[in-house]
Amino acid sequence: MWLPFIGFIIGVILGLLTDWRIPDEYSSYLSIAVLAAFDTLIGGIRAHLQNVYDENVFLTGFFFNIILAASLAFLGVHLGVDLYLAAVFAFGVRLFQNIAVIRRIWLAKWMEKRQKS
Amino acid sequence: MIALKRKTILHFTLIAAIIGFMLAVQFQTTKRPIVRDTRDIWELRQDLKQEQELEQQLLLEIRRNDEKIQNYEQNHLADQQTALQETVDELKKEAGLTEIRGAGLILTIAPFYPENYVGPIAYTVSPELLKRFINELNMYDAKEIAIANERITNTTAIRDVNGVTQVGNAKISSLPIQVKVISDDVTTLYNRLKVSTIYDDFVIENLQLTVSEPMSAIVIPKYYREWQIRYMEAVKAEKEES
Repeated sequence: MWLPFIGFIIGVILGLLTDWRIPDEYSSYLSIAVLAAFDTLIGGIRAHLQNVYDENVFLTGFFFNIILAASLAFLGVHLGVDLYLAAVFAFGVRLFQNIAVIRRIWLAKWMEKRQKS
Repeated sequence: MIALKRKTILHFTLIAAIIGFMLAVQFQTTKRPIVRDTRDIWELRQDLKQEQELEQQLLLEIRRNDEKIQNYEQNHLADQQTALQETVDELKKEAGLTEIRGAGLILTIAPFYPENYVGPIAYTVSPELLKRFINELNMYDAKEIAIANERITNTTAIRDVNGVTQVGNAKISSLPIQVKVISDDVTTLYNRLKVSTIYDDFVIENLQLTVSEPMSAIVIPKYYREWQIRYMEAVKAEKEES
């Protein structure tokens, strides 16, 4: 259960240690990729809690979403429209929805537990 | 089921690690690198000198103002009036409301054409050139400047009005014009002007700048218009409590 957190921390440490920097013009791509990744992760947790989790969906969703978001941002830059905002909006809304679902499931579980005891 | 679960957790861990990595990189990207101070010892010295000069100047000003305050406080009512009058006179002088005499130079700006010149003839001096010229003069420690008998004050505007340059309220529509400059150290001003590159700038506009020999008495007229004071008003005199 704690392994993902440890993985997250390891990732952060690795990122800080490697001292990588992305050129300024690409930082928006990375930020949107981070958002997409978060969305997928939270979505995966929700699916897991709802017992509809599918590995293939999760893994392909992760990479596909990142690539899609980045290419949308790329297209936006070349069209002169801030298209990445569309991705930010979509991911943002979904993130909130998924988190709300997760919260409800946890709440329900907790209530159940309390009624039992 | 347990094997699947373990695999799932592994995947989650992997994804979380990737997210963490991306976050860290993004964080490092947005965190601006600290701007390094790359001044070498001479630049540092120069900056230090500049600051010291500023300090000196400020201290001098503070001392002068302190003296003034002391004057106000020490002297009696009658003397207070004279002290105030002195200040007013001083300020008037600073604002350019008094005629000034002193040693200085007379510079003449005249048209300048090479032989068998064909082309437009200059009737006026462009505002940009005049501004540059005034900056140059101020750089060489000119104290007071008058262009075509128009006193240059802190608020004198030099601008283009329908193709004719206007200095304050005087139009410069015919050449040559005279520029009078007063300085505390005329010889230095003269020498510096001699080697200045401003002549070339004038020649580009088909104008020639000639500098007179240093003169001991030059009169610079006062600013003869009313000052427009918009953001200040006189304080009503309060009754003195005796």
